[in-house]
Formats: sequence, structure tokens, C-alpha cells
Amino acid sequence: MTDTPDISPIRSAVSKNLGARYRAELRFRAAGLAAVAAAVGILVILLASIISGGLPAFTVNQLELTVELDRELIDPNGDGSEESLRRGGYSRALQDAIRAEFPEVQARRDLRNLFSLYTALNATRLMDDVLENPDLIGSRYDFTMPLADDLDLYLKGLLVEDRTLDTGGVLSLAVEGDEVAISSTETDFRELAAELARVLRARATVLEVQADTLAGLAEGLSGTEAEDLLYDADLNRRRAADIRATLEADAGSLTLDASLPSVIVEVEGRAVALTSLGRNGAAATGRFLIGSEPLAAAADWTLYVIDTPAERRRVSDQLIVWTRALQERGAIRASFNTYLFANADSREPELAGVKGALFGSILTMMITIIISVPIGVFTALYLEEYAPKNRFTALIEVNINNLAAVPSIVFGLLGLAVFINAFGLPRSAPLVGGLVLSLMTLPTVIIATRAALKAVPQSIRQAALAVGASRTQTVFHHVLPLAAPGILTGAIIGLAQAMGETAPLLMIGMVAFIADAPTLGLEGFTEPATVMPVQIFLWSDGAERAWEYRSAAAILVLLALMIGFNALAIYLRRRFERRW
Amino acid sequence: MSIIAIVALAIIVMLAGGFYVGRSRAIAAVSGATASLHSLPNYHGYHVAIWTGLPAFLLLAVYGMFGPTLVDRITAAELRRDAIVLTSSFESELASDPEILALEEALTLLRARADAISDSMAELRSASGSDRDPQRLEALAVEQTDLVNQIATTEDARLARRDVLRDRVSAEAAASGAEVRALAGFELVHAPRERRQLFLSDVRRIATDGLASRASDELDAAAAVMAHHDLRIRYLFAGLALALAVGGLVRTRGQIAGPFRARNHVEGLVTAMLFLSSVIAIMTTIGIVFSLLFESIRFFSTVPLTEFLFGLQWSPQIALRADQVGQSGAFGAVPLFAGTAMITLIAMVVAVPIGLLSAIYLSEYAGPRFRLTAKPILEILAGIPTVVYGFFALLTVGPAIRSFFAMIGIDDVVTQSALSAGLVMGVMIIPFISSLSDDVINSVPQSLRDGSYAMGATKSETIGRVIIPAALPGIVGAILLAVSRAVGETMIVVMAAGQGANLTANPLESVTTITVQIVMLLTGDQEFDSPKTLSAFALGLVLFVITLLMNVLALRVVQRYREKYD
Repeated sequence: MTDTPDISPIRSAVSKNLGARYRAELRFRAAGLAAVAAAVGILVILLASIISGGLPAFTVNQLELTVELDRELIDPNGDGSEESLRRGGYSRALQDAIRAEFPEVQARRDLRNLFSLYTALNATRLMDDVLENPDLIGSRYDFTMPLADDLDLYLKGLLVEDRTLDTGGVLSLAVEGDEVAISSTETDFRELAAELARVLRARATVLEVQADTLAGLAEGLSGTEAEDLLYDADLNRRRAADIRATLEADAGSLTLDASLPSVIVEVEGRAVALTSLGRNGAAATGRFLIGSEPLAAAADWTLYVIDTPAERRRVSDQLIVWTRALQERGAIRASFNTYLFANADSREPELAGVKGALFGSILTMMITIIISVPIGVFTALYLEEYAPKNRFTALIEVNINNLAAVPSIVFGLLGLAVFINAFGLPRSAPLVGGLVLSLMTLPTVIIATRAALKAVPQSIRQAALAVGASRTQTVFHHVLPLAAPGILTGAIIGLAQAMGETAPLLMIGMVAFIADAPTLGLEGFTEPATVMPVQIFLWSDGAERAWEYRSAAAILVLLALMIGFNALAIYLRRRFERRW
Repeated sequence: MSIIAIVALAIIVMLAGGFYVGRSRAIAAVSGATASLHSLPNYHGYHVAIWTGLPAFLLLAVYGMFGPTLVDRITAAELRRDAIVLTSSFESELASDPEILALEEALTLLRARADAISDSMAELRSASGSDRDPQRLEALAVEQTDLVNQIATTEDARLARRDVLRDRVSAEAAASGAEVRALAGFELVHAPRERRQLFLSDVRRIATDGLASRASDELDAAAAVMAHHDLRIRYLFAGLALALAVGGLVRTRGQIAGPFRARNHVEGLVTAMLFLSSVIAIMTTIGIVFSLLFESIRFFSTVPLTEFLFGLQWSPQIALRADQVGQSGAFGAVPLFAGTAMITLIAMVVAVPIGLLSAIYLSEYAGPRFRLTAKPILEILAGIPTVVYGFFALLTVGPAIRSFFAMIGIDDVVTQSALSAGLVMGVMIIPFISSLSDDVINSVPQSLRDGSYAMGATKSETIGRVIIPAALPGIVGAILLAVSRAVGETMIVVMAAGQGANLTANPLESVTTITVQIVMLLTGDQEFDSPKTLSAFALGLVLFVITLLMNVLALRVVQRYREKYD
């Protein structure tokens, strides 16, 4: 009979802690899952924000105008020569075409405003059309051009918050000098007036609260600082009081200014922006934005409200109303944005496209492929198959590992100092960009190739050597073909990485504004160019809102290319990979 | 078609022909009994083809690389020679013009004073105890700025006067019927450096029927000279290449014989080529080190190393003229180091927990199917270009941070802050840490886990007390590599961290980093001798050294502390 030790105290001690330990286990596991979820979640947010930002830029609202290509205007010398045609008044022709749409616009300032519906650069496009097809001269030509970037965003619903209110009454407009008296048989304006009054009251309250905070802060201070704060507080109080006073006293009407939403009455081809609004809800005054004729009675009319106040947006009521009118008349058509792909960079977002950057990327990648793939593969072959184990080989290996970890911007510095300043190669050229990126990609290609070569079993080599093949024959006839899929995969991944690289290219001047796409030929390698990621960098810096969408769209194009490359790599690996 | 292209085509044809000739001649040499050849007939073909094509194409490549520069140099030299009379009359004019002389004398005096002041400033700076006199230092600094401005205006006046004289000389020469080429040479010689480049590129464009930025008789004359030299150089190189090809073909063709060891020759060449390729990696490193060192040494000859490394103020944009007194204190890189450190720290705070925990979860808990989907998704994060992360930080994360802080009552947060750049950089680094630690964790032997489970430990206890300690060196190495990556990352910080060189500990302010400053200093116009441009190379050197040390350290940690199993 053996002695069984009494394990019950141990068991009880263990089971006492067991609950806590299992809970800790669960917590740890949950934390792990949360970490994975966080990483995936961030990726989803990143992609969602870029896709939602980029998709709107793939469509464009185009203005279709019939342009009179008057012979005298377009061909000032009258001889139809290219020189003469280049001097033609194309912007005049465009201006006349848009003026024909709104003949009532006469004042200089209004006209300038009207011409900002499109960018003046379109005149050059019109000229190119005429130069390409001189038969157009003297005819009426249906010219299509992109709407100004802000208005394009407006039509996509990305610029302002707006809504259209239905109305029930019968409207009449009476002209009194500059003003238009608007009246409806129903109280169609009442809700709107109440809403605006609420907005104003809220604004007064905010001012008062701010005043109290400032006064409170002033108590803790003394001297001029306190005085300044008290002065600001007083100012706020007085402004609040003003607002309240107008709300109380002027019970009959509310004045609409640039700090309040714009209200526009649209009726029978006319548009009237309200300047004041009767609190009773049946009457208002305004000024004509389109049209000028009084109106006796109209039952079919709408109230268009732009909730974003005029002072907080880049486009005026007038431009918005013109755009809406043009859309109503069918002169604006939304279509796929071909400018994004057919054009190179431009100063105006609506005409800017990725073609130049895409060509630049292609040229740069060609240089990178030509240089980094052969040299990388050869290096790996040497190190893996030929190199004797000595100091020098060890040095090369350490070197390659270190190069793989050198920040990319340092390669840019190298390119600037060596290729541009010492060798005198041209700045901003795909040739230099490709050289720099090749050096950067080299370690990736080498490491991938060595892995692929290592995966080829030793028996293949031994068999080849045994039947009398030389070392070179063994490597080139047997090992290299077997390792090729792996090498290809690694090279493609390295190149995809190089295609997304930006920083070193900034150093060698590929960051300039380049309005012409480089030629896809031998001379293109030394022409100034930029590449996709740099284009994205440049656009994301743009002042106008539209650049944001353009750069997101360019990112989508770049990501699509990179996904394509990686998918190809994965396909090759799946298709040709051999397990030994 | 240019002569070069014709020659290149001819060489390709000769190369193919050479292969055929070599092969058939080898067969003929043993009258068809190929077994008595030392090498297979193809190797004889390769041997001939290589010696026909390789040297000739190398020569053409050299022409492609340096041909235009060579033509530019020769043209410039010839034009300069033509303008020698004009130049000498201009120089005598310069030497006798009283205004220039007066200005030059004033400049010498001003420079001497500036030097004296900077000397006494340096003395005062290094002074200690009772010798310290901050007020006097301040006064001197003011005087120095004043002097710098005076020097600048005097220098401008001198240059303006010089331009006037130059224009007068060339106008007189033109009036007296001097040769257009001489005038062109004169214009070239006395143009400022960047104008000289423009002049030459215009000349090149005219010579190749391109669109020049302006038109003038001088340009046309210079273009004629250039076209002439261009043609000569072109024919020279084309002829040489052709001669090399023919020579190679003839020589190697003569060598063909039954016992000729063609295979050994070809294989020797192949091996040499492979070896040369692998030397390129070393050349790159040498290139990096030398280009950085060379320019940095030039920089440190104007700005002392200690000031660069320990100075608290960074404002390279101010004041930098060629004759600026170097020690103005604008090149203190500490704010950049601090900014880099802060952003790296924020990135690590994000990346290390998420990366490490997801690596642990994926390797220890997740089932194979979950792992197969989750791992590639994490790797997508690594494949996204950094400019996309920068865009995300600038337009999504930055505004989100700002509105978050506005919501809790802090209003003055800027969109471009260290926080947004750091957070996004952390996201970028997550896959880096997770995949490296994943490898390390997977390499911990199963027997350790089994032992721990046998003792009754739960999974998390096994991970915390057995696996992590065993994998720690590898994990530390991974983190070090990630840090070096974060330090060298450029686009995210350029786009999202702002540019103000603030020395601050507040992550909500905008800071600047080493990489951002390199980009700022080197984009746009640059003169290659100003300390402003050179300082970028000094920063690059710092960056290179930091990342190199970090990598070496990471390798050391991994090798030194790795537990040896089995």
C-alpha cells in the first residue's frame, strides 16, 4: 500500500484562485482580439474615408454650351493659318455663349461673377478643338467643359447644406425699385421665420454666455488684461442685446444677412433671394437673382433654403442660382470624369488629371525594373550560389541588411548629391527617380531572391553537378528556373513598394508643377515629370476643397494599381509555387 | 534617326551575327564532330557575341550618361575663348571703375568688422563667471544683424553696378560690330550660376529644334556652336563603339578552335558580372556615407558641431546669404530631435500594444482560418503608401482630433499636430511589429508551452511567464527596428505634423522632425553652397547614423540574448 499524499489543501488553494485565473485568461484573450479588431477597424476607417472622399471625383458636372465660332473673332488675320487661329478670341466666344444663357446680366461685376461658372483655362481647350478641326470656324459648336470646382461640389451636395420647402399658397411678385415685394396667399414663410428667429436667439445666448465667461476670467486678473477682457465681454453683451432688440421690436419682419441661411424663391424661371422675411409668414422682400419681371399669380413655386450661411461658404447665392437654372435647362450634365484620366496636372482642380503622374510613374518604374531586378537577382545569385565564405562576402551581407533599413529619404539625398550634382543628370527626371528607387528596392529584391534560391533543394544542384554540369550551368539551367516564381513575386512586391514611395523623389525635384505629361518614349526619361504619390502629395496641399477629392481619387487609382500588382504576385505564387 | 541609334542597331545585328558566326565556325573547326570541341558550340557563339556587344554598349551607355554634359562643357569653353577680348576689356573696366572700387573697399571693411564681432561673440559665449556679459552679447548680436544687412545691401549694389558695366561693355561691343559668338560667350561667362544653366539649356533646345524660353541672336550663335560639337561628339562615340564591336568580333572569331575553352571564358565573365552586381550594394552604402559626410563637413565648417547638436533654436530660413556670419544660432537641431522623439514615442504607444497583442492572439489563440484572413488584412496596412497615411492624417485624423478637443473644451488645437502624425504613424507600424513578433513567438519551441500547460498554467499565464520571456530579445529587436522606421518616416510627418520648430512637450502643438526639415530645405530653389542646403545633409547624416545604430543594436540584442534551444 502506498502513501497517497494529502493533496486537498493544494487542491483547495488552486480552486480558490481558479475563478480569478480564468477571468484573467478571458481578459487577456479579449485584449488580443480587441487589438486585432482595432487594427482591422483602423484599416476599414482608412479605406472608407478615402473611398468616400475619392468617389465623388470620378463624376463631373459638365456645362454644355453652344459656342458661336464667329470667323472674325476666331481668325483675326482671316487667313486660317495656325498663327492666326492661336490669336483668336476664344474666351470671348465662351463668354458670349454663357451670356446668351443669362441675357439680363449686364453689370461688369455681375458679368465677372457669371464667367466664374467655368475656369478661363477652358478657352485653351476650345482653341485646341478648333486647331484640330478648322472646319468648326464659322459654325455653332457644342462645347463641353467642366463646371467650376466649387459649383461641381455644390451639385454633388458636398459644399453646402440645403433643402427645398414645399409651398401651398399662390405667389405674387411686385417690383419696387431694386426690391421685390413677395406675398403669398398662405403663411408659407412662417415656419422659416420662426426657425431663423430661433437661430438668432441662440446666437444671442451664446454671446451672453461668452460674455459671462470673459467677465469671470477678468475677476482673476488686474490691469490692462482685465480691462481688455471686460471690454470684450461688454462688446458681446451689447451685440446680444442688439440681436434681442431687433427680434423684439421688429416683430413685423426679420432681416436676412450673410450670417443667416439664404432663402431663395424659385418661380417660373425667376429666382429671388429674400432680404427680409415677414414674421406673419405671408410676405417678404427680396432681390432678383434671375429675371426681373413682376408676377401676378403663380401657384407652382418653391422655397430653396441654403442652410450654410453665405459668409461661411465660397460660392455666392447668385452662382448657386445660376447653376441651378442651368441644370434646370439641361445645360449641365453629370458624367464620368474623363478629365481625371485624360489630363495632366493643372492649376484648376476641375481640369487636373493624373495622366502626367501616371506616365511619370510608368517611366520611373521602367528604369527601376531595368536596374533593380537584374542587379538584385545577380547579387543574390552571387551571394547564394558562388560567393566563398570570407570577410568580403560577410561585409556585403551586412551591407544589404543595413541598406534595407536605411530611411528612404536618405536615398533621396544620395540621388541629389551623386546623380544630380556630381553626374549632372537632369533634375525632376524619371531617369534619376528610377535610379534612386532602384537603389532603394535593391535590398528587397535581393532578400526575396535569396529566399527563393534557398528554397530550391540541394539535391537539384547535386544532381546537376553529378551529371557533369558546371556550376554556372547548374545555376542557370536548373536552380534559377525553379526559383523564378519566387523571385518574380518578391520583385513585384518590391516594385509595388517603390511605386508608392514619395520622400526620395521630393529630394530630386520630382515635386514640381508639370502641366504636360512626359512622352512615353526614350526622351521621356529626361523630361521633367512627377509620379502618382507625389501628385497626391501636391494635390492634398491645395487650397480649394476640390483638391481634397481629387487627391482621394488619385489615391484610389494608385491603390488600384498596387492591388493589381500584389494580386499578380499572389497569383504567380499560387500558380507556380512548388513545395519540395 | 540619330547616328547613335543606327550604330546601336548595327551592333545588335553584329552581336546576333557574331553568335551565329562563332557557333558555326566552332562546328566547322572540328568539321562537325562537336564531341571533340572543349566547349559546346553555343558557348563559342556566346563568347563572340559578348565581346562584340558588351564593350560597345558600355561605351554607348557612357555617352548616354555623360554625352550632353560633355557637349555643354566643350561649347561653354569655346564660347568663353571667343569672348576673351570682351572679358578682358570688361575686367579692365571693373578694375578702373571708381564706384566698384569704393564698394569693394566698403565690403572688405564691413566683413572685417563682422568677423571681429563674431569672434568677440564666440568669446563671450564661451565665457564663464564674471566675464559673462549677456547684455553686451545682445548688443553685439543686434550689431551683427545690422552688419549682415549692410553687407547684403552693399553686395547688391556692387552686383548691380557690375551688371551695369557688363551691359555697357556688351552694348559697346555689339555697336562696334563684334562677333555674335563673342557676345554669346560674354553673356554666358558673366551670367549668375543659375542663369548659366538656363542659357545652356536654352541653347540645347534651340540646337535640337525645341522651344526655348526666349530667342536672341546670341542664343542662335551659341546653338550653332553646340550643334557642331554635338555632332562631332556623337560621331566620335558612334565610330568608337563601332570599332570596338568590329574589333571584338574579329579578335574572338580568330580564337575559335577545337580546344579553345570558350565555356570557361563565358562563365568567368558571368561570374564577374554577378560579383560586380553585388558590389553595387556596397557602392550604394559608400555613396550614401560619402555624399552625406562630404556635404556635412562643409556645413560644419560654418556651423560648429556642438551648436548643431545642442542648440535650441532652429530657423534656417532667416538671413542666409552667402556672406552670412555663420554663428547666428539658427542651426540648433534640438527642437527637431525633440519633435522626432515625441512623434516616435506616440507612434510606439499606439503600435507596440496593438501589434504585440495581435501577434500573440494570432499565433496563440486564433484558429487557422481566422489567422489566414486576419494576417493578410494586417499586411495590407504595411502595403499602403505612406503618402496615403499622410493624407489620412491630414484630412481625417487631424480634424477629428481637433473637434474632439473642441468638444471637451480645448479650442486652440491645430489640425497639424504631433498627435495626429504620431497616431497615424503608429498605425503604419502595427504590421511591422506584429509580423516580426509573430515570427519570434512562433519560433519558441512547442515543448516550452507543453511544459507550462503540464504544470497547470492557463494560456495567458504560459504566454506571460514563458513565451514572452523566451521571445523577449526578438521582440525588443522588433521594437528597435520599428523605432528606426518611425524615425526615418517622412511623408506622414511632412503632411500632418506641421512645420513650426517648436520645442514643446505638448503633443497637441505642431512640431517638426528631422525628415520634415530635410524635405523643407531641399524642395524649391537651392544654391548648393549655402549652409541652409548643406544643413539638410547634416540632418541626413544624423538620421542615417541613428537608424544604423538602431539596427546594429537590434541585431546585437537578438544575437546576444537569444535563448539557444535544442
